[in-house]
Amino acid sequence: MNASAGATARDYFSLFQLEPGFALDKTALERAYHALLAQFHPDRYAGKPEVEQRVAAQLCADINSGYRILSDEVCRAEYLLQQAGVDLVAAERAGVESTFLMTQISLREQLEELDQSDSAGRQSLTEEIEGHYALSRNQFAHTFAADACLDAARHWQEMCYLSKLLSEPKLRVR
Amino acid sequence: MTLLQIAEPGSAPEINTERRIGVGIDLGTTNSLIAHFDGADLNVLAGDTGQASLPSVVYYGASQTLVGADAERYASAEPGNTIASAKRMLGRSREEFEDDPYIQLAAGEGLAFATDAGAKTPVEVSAAILAALKGRAEPLLSGPIVGAVITVPAYFDDAQRQATRQAAELAGIKVLRLLNEPTAAAVAYGLDEQAEESSVLAVYDLGGGTFDISLLRMRAGLFEVLATGGDSALGGDDFDRALAAHLLDELSIGEPTVVQRRVALRLARDAKERLSESAMVNLDVKGLDAATSEITVSRSTLETLLSPYIERTLTACRKTLADANVDIVDRVVLVGGSTRTPAVRQAVADCFDLEPLCNLDPDQVVAMGAARQADILVGNRRGDEALLLDVIPLSLGLETYGGLVERIVNRNSTIPVARAQEFTTARDGQTGLVVHVVQGERERVEDCRSLARFELTGIPPMVAGAARIEVTFQVDADGILAVSAVEQQTGARSEIVVKPAFGLGEAQITDMLKAGYEHASEDMLARQLGEARVEAEALLDGLLAAMTADGDLLSAEETAALQSDMKNLETVMAVNQPDDIREATEILGKASEVFAARRMDRSIQKALQGVSLSELESNVAEESTP
Repeated sequence: MNASAGATARDYFSLFQLEPGFALDKTALERAYHALLAQFHPDRYAGKPEVEQRVAAQLCADINSGYRILSDEVCRAEYLLQQAGVDLVAAERAGVESTFLMTQISLREQLEELDQSDSAGRQSLTEEIEGHYALSRNQFAHTFAADACLDAARHWQEMCYLSKLLSEPKLRVR
Repeated sequence: MTLLQIAEPGSAPEINTERRIGVGIDLGTTNSLIAHFDGADLNVLAGDTGQASLPSVVYYGASQTLVGADAERYASAEPGNTIASAKRMLGRSREEFEDDPYIQLAAGEGLAFATDAGAKTPVEVSAAILAALKGRAEPLLSGPIVGAVITVPAYFDDAQRQATRQAAELAGIKVLRLLNEPTAAAVAYGLDEQAEESSVLAVYDLGGGTFDISLLRMRAGLFEVLATGGDSALGGDDFDRALAAHLLDELSIGEPTVVQRRVALRLARDAKERLSESAMVNLDVKGLDAATSEITVSRSTLETLLSPYIERTLTACRKTLADANVDIVDRVVLVGGSTRTPAVRQAVADCFDLEPLCNLDPDQVVAMGAARQADILVGNRRGDEALLLDVIPLSLGLETYGGLVERIVNRNSTIPVARAQEFTTARDGQTGLVVHVVQGERERVEDCRSLARFELTGIPPMVAGAARIEVTFQVDADGILAVSAVEQQTGARSEIVVKPAFGLGEAQITDMLKAGYEHASEDMLARQLGEARVEAEALLDGLLAAMTADGDLLSAEETAALQSDMKNLETVMAVNQPDDIREATEILGKASEVFAARRMDRSIQKALQGVSLSELESNVAEESTP
């Protein structure tokens, strides 16, 4: 079996009654998430007819998925592209620009050369990656707002790559 | 909209004084407890002898079965018939225990103990313990037990949770919810009610057989598990075994008999407990070695023996803190009898740089929290309870091409959760595929735990990569998994509820229930009939109320169809056939699903309107503050 991204049915922005878009009011999302869970969590349906329990559990699963996707920038970007009908598989095949490829290689090399005990080096590399990430994110926001979906899809891929790099165990040593 | 009831002046409003009874059960490796919350007090329900905890030991003799302290008495004389620590084996496979010198396995493929009363599975042993707990509680309560919240270690995987549920079913107990032990502990301390801004709580739970560390975040009305970690095979039993091995070593007993091992274990447990109070103890070891009468064990010897185990718990703590991205913990709660050991307390205090909370009995705190939650779940709500949001302890995924694992649901996802992912075929003309469900964090299938395997057939022959197969993972609020696979073009479908591979099958459970585990004296039919009618009435009442309130969500045809199914159920209910009632209830349930979903969509709007309103109010309040 080979994996590919699945489709989503519910519009999460309307589920949480948020303005659709990349910019997001995190407090409003959290508040809506908690209000919905407080009402629809299976614990609130214990003792109710089985059909209601089942539907509530399904809704709760949607609420949890929606929160997970919207609260994470990279997931949110991907979701927006999906909703806009962008073929993400094709976009991934098209890849990123060559200048970003060079950045990728250079960051990867720096990470490999990083000494475990060098906390200053870790700090500065983390900051450098974060800088690149912020750039890609802003470019995503900009291109997506301008309906340049293919460009946005490219910047989304950059975000994916950089955020994955930031979660490398070597950078997360405590 | 619900109308508020106004009582006639002078007449007292009707108050429903009947309190439904839910109990909390801590099914522990070494000891088990049952507790009840009566609205004011949390009571741990003790047995005839006044002992709050029931040793998790079952004796299966040729002529009788005993549970608890009565069973423990046979531990030395008939070690093979006396089963202890069965929880360690719940939902596990035979291979994992074949080399264990303390266990005598029954012949055959499954994991079962060989006893004079026949082969007994860990699920049956656990069921016997649960039934004994229920038996001791019932005479002390004012009515029938509606259901129970049973606690499980946060680290329990899907198979272990399923096995726990099966044990309850076998004991005739309705499970309201499986609750993670650390969450229960925090609930017992009432930490969910404290109105602090936001704080992080660590629950360090070192019981007899499992170690759990959980990080929880508390905010107004919400109680969230951030991350869990631990080791499902590490606990006070290891302390006992290490000390027992030390004693046998001191006495130069190279190849101890089963009886000698048991005696050494009992001595070790006793010594460990006494060393919590004193620095040095003398042990009478004549039962082990006639030539030696006494051995002296010091606390520092014990601490040296324990330190590798304690260190393992601290490593797990640090890993879990890193997982949750948490730097500062505001409180630490101690759970489990093994946290009475001074060396453990000190190590925890040093690790978190905090004095841990331990004013509730660490052996009872889990059952107490479960009892509080059970009281809420049976319907005795006050309306202001915190909501407990749980997470799954291990990632769930599928085997893909080349023996690699594709993760579908990540560890620490909030449950209930459903995730769908599309897969495709690897070969031209492939018409079937095997869905292999695994649990764990490693990348290769052989390093993860295999949960289930099922086949999807009927895929139309296509070139490799053209088929689109959507696989959906659904994890319910108890952490139990159901998986389905659908080929998108033909709709070919296959699904499975993941059952422990080495537990009991559905048919086996039904057989055992029929054999009357503890219902021998009860009229089975009357009981089933009663249960079927309650469920049917709940559905009918609920639907009637719903149609009055939200009838506009249904078209005339839909209303007529529902009414016809309702009528049918009412007719069937008049006849004393539980199976027919259940079937008609199920038909009506399915038919009303769309209606239920529409009603929930409508109440989403209401729920969120409430939010913006309260936000508005708080803004107004802030503005009016000078």
